[in-house]
Amino acid sequence: MNCQEFWNTMPELGGADERHLQECAACAARMSRQRELAAGLRAVAANYQSVSAPARVEAPLRAAFRAQAGVSSDVRLRPRWAPAVTWATACAAMIAMAFFLMRGRQPEMPQPPATAGVEMAALAAGDETQSDFEGFIPLPNAARLAENEEVNVVHVEVPRSAMIAVGLEVSPERASELVAADVMLGPDGLARAVRFLDSDTLF
Amino acid sequence: MKPGAPETDDELLLRIQSGDEQAFMALYHRRQAALCRFALHMSGSMSVAEDVTQEVFLALLREDCGYDPERGTLSGYLFGIARKLVLRHMERGRVDVNLDGESEEGGLPQLAVNDDPLIDLTRREGIEALRRAVHALPRRYREVVVLCDLEEVDYADAAVALGCPIGTVRSRLHRARGLLLEKLSQERSPRHAVSAWKPVRCLS
Repeated sequence: MNCQEFWNTMPELGGADERHLQECAACAARMSRQRELAAGLRAVAANYQSVSAPARVEAPLRAAFRAQAGVSSDVRLRPRWAPAVTWATACAAMIAMAFFLMRGRQPEMPQPPATAGVEMAALAAGDETQSDFEGFIPLPNAARLAENEEVNVVHVEVPRSAMIAVGLEVSPERASELVAADVMLGPDGLARAVRFLDSDTLF
Repeated sequence: MKPGAPETDDELLLRIQSGDEQAFMALYHRRQAALCRFALHMSGSMSVAEDVTQEVFLALLREDCGYDPERGTLSGYLFGIARKLVLRHMERGRVDVNLDGESEEGGLPQLAVNDDPLIDLTRREGIEALRRAVHALPRRYREVVVLCDLEEVDYADAAVALGCPIGTVRSRLHRARGLLLEKLSQERSPRHAVSAWKPVRCLS
C-alpha cells in the first residue's frame, strides 16, 4: 500500500493500516496530527457538554402538547406507518362519537366569526389585537382572559368532531376528517379559544 | 421493552402519539441538549439555538411530521429537522456564524489564542482555536464535523440528518478534518501559508 492508497481509506475515520504507518514516517506524522485533532474535537465537545436549551423553552412545548391533546381528546398524531386497521378503527369510533353527540344534544346555532370576534374583544385589549383574534371562539368552561394577559397561539389539526364542542354543526360523514385550527393559550398554558381556519370546515 | 431498560425513542414516540405528555417531555429531555448544541455550533447564536430546539419538537407534534423508522432513527430525523430550521434562520439572515465576537448569553468566554494551536489542542487555548476553526468551515463541512465529531452522531444517522449517502458523510468529514488542520497550521505560521501562494503573473 502506498501513501495515496493509505489516505484513500480515510484512516483518520477509523481502521488505519498500522503497518503502513510503521513503514512511512511522513504518514505516521500526518496521522499523529489527525489524532491530535480528534482529541481536540473531543475536548471542544466536552467544553460544550453543559450547553442545553434553557428551561423557558420547555413551558411552551408542554403547553403546545396539552393544547393539541386538550382541544379534543380525539387528537392523535397518526404516523404514516400506523397500521391501517388502527386508522379504520379510529375513524369508526369518531363517527360513532359524532352520531352520539348529535343525537344527545342539538347543537346551538353556529356562531359566525363576527360574533366570535366580539366575544374575543372582551378577552383582549386594543383594536390591533382584536383583529389578530378575529374568528376565535371561546371554549366552554375556559377561564376568560384578562386585559393585557399574554396569549400564545398554536397551530394544530383536530378532527371536525371537535367543532361540536363549541356549538358548530358537523356533518357526521365528515366528523373524522381533520381540520386546521389555531388554539389560543392563556399564560397558564391552558386552551382558551379556538379558531377553525378552513372555511370549508363549516360544516 | 426489557424490564428496567430505558425506553427507546420509538417507544416514547408511540406513547407521545397516544397523548402521553410524560413521554413527550422524556423525549425532549433526552434529545434537546444535543439539538441545541448542534444549532448553536451551526448558527453561532444561542437565541437561534433555542428557537430551533423548540421548533424541532413542535414539528414532531404535527401529524405530517414525516418520520419513518425504516429510513433511520428518530435522533437522525430530529437532527435533520434542526438542520433545515438552522438553514432557514441563516437564509433569513438572523444568524452570525462567526463566533469570534460572540457576546450573546450562553456563549463561551473568549479566550486568548495560542501561537501554536497544534501543540496541544486539548488545552484551553487550543480548544478555542479549534472551535473558531470549526466555525470558519464552509457549512457543508461544518455540519458534518458538528454532527459526527462534536455530537458523536454515527454516520448512518448523520446521513439521515444531512439527506445524503453515508459515503458522502465520510468523504466530507475527511475533507473537513483536512481543512481544520490546514486552518490551524495557517494560524501557527501565517508566513508559511503566504509562501504557499504561487505567483500568477510578474508585474515588474
